[in-house]
Amino acid sequence: MVATQTAKPVSAPGAEHTVSVPGAAPSRIRRLSRAVLPGPAPGANGAALYRRWWLPWLWTAPAIVCAVVFGVFPFLNTLLLSFTDAKPLGGAASFVGLDNYTRMLDDSDFWLATRNSILYALIVVPLMVLLPLLLAILVEKNLPGIGFFRSAFYTPVLASSVVVGLSWQWLLADDGLINTWLEKAHLIRDAIPFLSDSWLILFSAMGLTLWKGLGWYMIFYLAALGNVPKELHEAASMDGAGAARRFWHITVPGVRQAMMLVGTLTGIGSLRVFTELYMLGGPTGGPGGADRTLPFYIKDVGLDPITGNAGYGSAVSVALFLLTLGLTLLAQRLTREDES
Amino acid sequence: MRARRLTGSLAWLVVVTLTAAGCGLSGGSDDGGATAGGCKVNEGNVGSGKLTGDVKGKITFQTTNLKKDFGGFFNGVIKDFEKANPGTSVKWIDDPGDNTFTQRTVADAQGCTMPDVINIDAPTATALTKAGYLLNVGVKDPDAAKPFVPAFWKSSTYKDASGKAAHTVLPWYTGGVLLTYNTDMLKKAGIDPAKPPKTMFGLFADYEKIAKSAKGKYFATMANPIWRIPADWDQMNIKTLSADGKSTAFADDPRTAQWVAWMAKLYKEGAMPKDSLSSSNDPSTPYSQGQVAYGSTNPSFVRFVKQNSPSVYAKTGVGQQPFDALGHTTAAPQYISVAATSKHAPTALAFAKFLTNAENQTAWCKDPKVVIFPTTTTSLDDPFFQNATGSDPFSQARKLVAEQLKTTTAYQTNVSPAVQKAIVSQVQLAMQGKKSPEQAVKDAQEKADELLKQAG
Repeated sequence: MVATQTAKPVSAPGAEHTVSVPGAAPSRIRRLSRAVLPGPAPGANGAALYRRWWLPWLWTAPAIVCAVVFGVFPFLNTLLLSFTDAKPLGGAASFVGLDNYTRMLDDSDFWLATRNSILYALIVVPLMVLLPLLLAILVEKNLPGIGFFRSAFYTPVLASSVVVGLSWQWLLADDGLINTWLEKAHLIRDAIPFLSDSWLILFSAMGLTLWKGLGWYMIFYLAALGNVPKELHEAASMDGAGAARRFWHITVPGVRQAMMLVGTLTGIGSLRVFTELYMLGGPTGGPGGADRTLPFYIKDVGLDPITGNAGYGSAVSVALFLLTLGLTLLAQRLTREDES
Repeated sequence: MRARRLTGSLAWLVVVTLTAAGCGLSGGSDDGGATAGGCKVNEGNVGSGKLTGDVKGKITFQTTNLKKDFGGFFNGVIKDFEKANPGTSVKWIDDPGDNTFTQRTVADAQGCTMPDVINIDAPTATALTKAGYLLNVGVKDPDAAKPFVPAFWKSSTYKDASGKAAHTVLPWYTGGVLLTYNTDMLKKAGIDPAKPPKTMFGLFADYEKIAKSAKGKYFATMANPIWRIPADWDQMNIKTLSADGKSTAFADDPRTAQWVAWMAKLYKEGAMPKDSLSSSNDPSTPYSQGQVAYGSTNPSFVRFVKQNSPSVYAKTGVGQQPFDALGHTTAAPQYISVAATSKHAPTALAFAKFLTNAENQTAWCKDPKVVIFPTTTTSLDDPFFQNATGSDPFSQARKLVAEQLKTTTAYQTNVSPAVQKAIVSQVQLAMQGKKSPEQAVKDAQEKADELLKQAG
């Protein structure tokens, strides 16, 4: 009897003894938690209450309800609507099968919007990953008055998109600041059509997105840079590494996780861009609607209260979701590969 | 065991969500009670028969961007109504009235939370009437038409879900249309400001003259055709839509392609700022800054110039908008409607009628801060409108529009924002020289018809 007791594993008070069952490995987390966390013995002083299977569910219930109401339900509703001919103002909707998706494949306006969205992400994401990092390195040092520059670079983040859009309109107009300067410097004879050429509108909107986002992501990088050991830079300097080598071999690896996060967030944000193009390209999304992105197109085809088709708009929304999901998974895969 | 519970919980979650999603999809009540749109309502609010019930209870009243300038007036109207109807209370909400107004109002309607009395425009009225969210005032109050100018009342109708015309709105006030122009710029172009053009193409010819004389220093007008379609076509009596409103008809009229060709020519010749082709900006601001010769066609614009740019106001002239082939002007009144979902519909209807009655319309239209015109017969006959004097542009604008309103119709072609944008986009391409006018008109018709077809 005594020998049997001494053979039992030592554990914290209240912990269950693990039992080896072939084919069923005991939960490591469970064992660890019971080994570390103090608690009453099973069945003692009502402690069994804390072992109810539903208790964790109860604690997480508010979060689950919120996730279902504001996340899962709208998503599933959108998915279901994409197989119907629903109207924005409700009423009876009929299932139309894959009609909305087949229509999408033949819709040149959809493909134009998709091209614009992808192009937006492809150009904005790399720049948004790199430029705020360079900016953060510039303002990282504790020099007198550096706080002013940090605040100045952050200011565009605080401005409303509409106000920023109006400012950029004035900047990019045919008689705006940029064209006037270029003309006075005799660099151009005719104004550059920033606001009437469909390509230039798209690129101008990208510039606006970058300008408005730089300060925000600069803050991300400032936090990340604080975690890069200064000793590594000092050691590398002593070994004769220049600024560029130290940037690539010490700074970049040190902030890699932040870069991945910025890349993912910017990618999602780029695919959702609307205001910039509305402000610079007008209600039609540029001349001939050539600068519409997928959110712009969803608004036009799905949300118009009179002629909108919520079913088709939902199908385009699903396409946008898949595009976003694809980009996010790609970013995660890159992160994993990087870590390995 | 736990895995089974977890699976069960997830299955339950999915079933509940899908059921909820299914409910959201149908958007209606299946219990046989009275509904308006997807909302349960009092039986008296829908169907045939006069609306009866006590005028009492709390209602909400929503205007669009009026509180800043007219807070005193509307608070007075509300106070008078509450005094005349003890037991009533009116809560006033003022919406900013931006580009998302229609979408937000539609969302409110779907959520069964639309204000009881609401100021809406034609596109919103079209959508809400079709979906059944507005009280049919023509049916619910057979006397509702009496105060209004017959032409206004007759043309203020929208089609319900069955395609039948319904009076779901009360015409409130109207702005009218006229030409506003910088007389100096017209004179420099050799145009007599006292003799404004009588036709749309005559106006375009003047734009061309201005472009030649301005030599890029200023412009005739703004380029985005979104400000002109379909108003210009209305004045030219080009039918934008077919009689049943289910398809477009403008491509059948050769004058449409001519109109597009003119716009393309004017754009190319520099009569309009190139960067305004797709801009949201109307001519108000550039006119006040002396950058364009022709301003907005809204009479209230004259007040805007007077307040914001006295030097340009001193040079401003007003003239009659070309009636062209139509022979008379059209007006687009603002509307007051009552939500069919109102819990106190008799009170809401009573307030809507009180707000739009001759006395209140006349009082507001006489406000020196505004240039608007009433829609009731009694108020239009008021000497203030019929005997307007004064030679300043402000007084001239009042006089001119009041004169026009005697022969106006309230009807203006009412296309959805999406249809308008589909047409405008093609015209923009033609103006940039990327399509011929004929091809642009053909493509515009095709795209607009596609949208109208999906609307059913």
